[in-house]
Amino acid sequence: MAAEIERGWRDPALLAKALPSVLLQTACFLAPLLMTFALTFQKTKNFQLTWTWNLDVWTDVFSKPHYWTILLHTLEMAVVCVVLCVVLALPVAYALATRIKRFENHVKILITFAFLTDATLKTFGWVLFLDQKGAANFLLEQLGLPAGVVAILFTDWATMLGMVYGLLPFMIFTIYLSIDNIDRSLILAAYDAGAGKLRAFWEVTLPLCRPGIWAGVVLVFLLAVGVFLEPKVLGGGKSPMTAELIRQTFETRVNWPLGAALTFVLMTVAVFVILLFNRVYSLKRAMVTS
Amino acid sequence: MSHRLEARLVDVILYGSVAAVLVFFYTPIFTLIAFSFQQGRYLTLPFEGLSLEWYGALLTNTNARGALVNSTIIALIAMLASTVLGTMAGIVAVRYRFPAKGAFLGLSAAPLVFPQLLLGIVLLLWFSVLGRWLDFNNGMVTAVIGHVVYIAPFAMVIVAVQVFNFDATLEDAARDCGASAFEVYRYVTIPLLWPGIFSAAIFSFLLSWGNFYLTYSLAGSTRTLPTFVFSGIATGSSPLYPAIATAVFIPGILLVVLADWLRRRAARAAAG
Repeated sequence: MAAEIERGWRDPALLAKALPSVLLQTACFLAPLLMTFALTFQKTKNFQLTWTWNLDVWTDVFSKPHYWTILLHTLEMAVVCVVLCVVLALPVAYALATRIKRFENHVKILITFAFLTDATLKTFGWVLFLDQKGAANFLLEQLGLPAGVVAILFTDWATMLGMVYGLLPFMIFTIYLSIDNIDRSLILAAYDAGAGKLRAFWEVTLPLCRPGIWAGVVLVFLLAVGVFLEPKVLGGGKSPMTAELIRQTFETRVNWPLGAALTFVLMTVAVFVILLFNRVYSLKRAMVTS
Repeated sequence: MSHRLEARLVDVILYGSVAAVLVFFYTPIFTLIAFSFQQGRYLTLPFEGLSLEWYGALLTNTNARGALVNSTIIALIAMLASTVLGTMAGIVAVRYRFPAKGAFLGLSAAPLVFPQLLLGIVLLLWFSVLGRWLDFNNGMVTAVIGHVVYIAPFAMVIVAVQVFNFDATLEDAARDCGASAFEVYRYVTIPLLWPGIFSAAIFSFLLSWGNFYLTYSLAGSTRTLPTFVFSGIATGSSPLYPAIATAVFIPGILLVVLADWLRRRAARAAAG
């Protein structure tokens, strides 16, 4: 176990290691974010950005319900995606941490590889699988089912499938790490006290891996509100989500201030939703325990 | 419910869920591999026949070859930069305590939870404004910078886990024996952190190699494999794209297996 070393700001060994990351993220993450925020107060005229400080874009954003309908749809999709990811990831992470010792590494490699594979290729694979004349329908037809049973491509269902597919590995790994760190003797103690497997899971394992689940929820939610490829390719672009709206605002309408404002709205709302969940959740816990 | 029956049921759910998730993860991947052997022009089943002709087409297609070369160059540079930055930041994150450490961690990990498309757009705006001012165009360099911003935090987390399991007294011992700061790094710290650094490097390479969102926003007119495939999905496809996909899978799975093998060998060496 590593011990922490107390150091001042000026320590050269510390500075040499910390400064490159700080500089990079300041110059290419923080500064661009701040500039994007400054852009929301500008105007475009004939596709050209003009520096005039005003609130036109913001009044536009807040007065058009169109943006907010899309945003609401995005949040709904993200919440459903998070719930599905938790439900699917829990048994898998639990099995990885407690059961499949012999094949644990193989399964982890397989999941890692699927996760690291190019997202466009995987999305394209789903298109081929779900298509009218694709692999799923072909296989089902061989089994004697009528043609074209699987008809979810270019609907929200396909978008959701793609989102869960892309984000599930994040949830599996965060929950797996937290279950892996649980002291096994606590669970054995629950068995000794007469608890069955389900009860021990419900009353010991689940509460102990809550931080892991929560970290996964935050990560998956934030990434889910920003998906673009899935609604575009699998959803057929029929019910656009906010990321697609933002991209269009930049590329097709060349309205940088509006796009910048929508980017900020999306991120702020996403963070707000997370804080709200956290709040409701801790209130509920406070009521249960008191 | 009796405990034995319950245990049975739990086992079925657990093993079943792992199997189901693996099938789920590999469905599109195997679909692509299958379609790459289609003989005809169209991506529909049943196949007209099996052939390797699309792999041949891949070799002669200059656009695909250019995209492959670009992807490789970008991924190699991004891997080097991300791994170096991530390793240093990972050591700082675990080993030091200093004023404003929270701010340091927040800043260097923030891009992890920022949606990639939005990161791409924010950086695109930044580089466009800077480009107009300093007179440069978006291209490979801006794509590499974008990749490093996004991937270095991943590398940091992976290396930090390794540093966390690292016995700091070994460095003290080396120092007590008269090793200089450089020698301590060269002969103690880096070798012990090597498995973590190596997995971070492979992770970085593959994240950059398969990155779509950032490349799409930042690479200007430069095409990489993911953006090349994306443009192919948009305009009527042919089995050329599944063939590209399959060709991309092979180095990926080899790298992941290699990383795990090295990690386990290091773990065995540490234990034995």
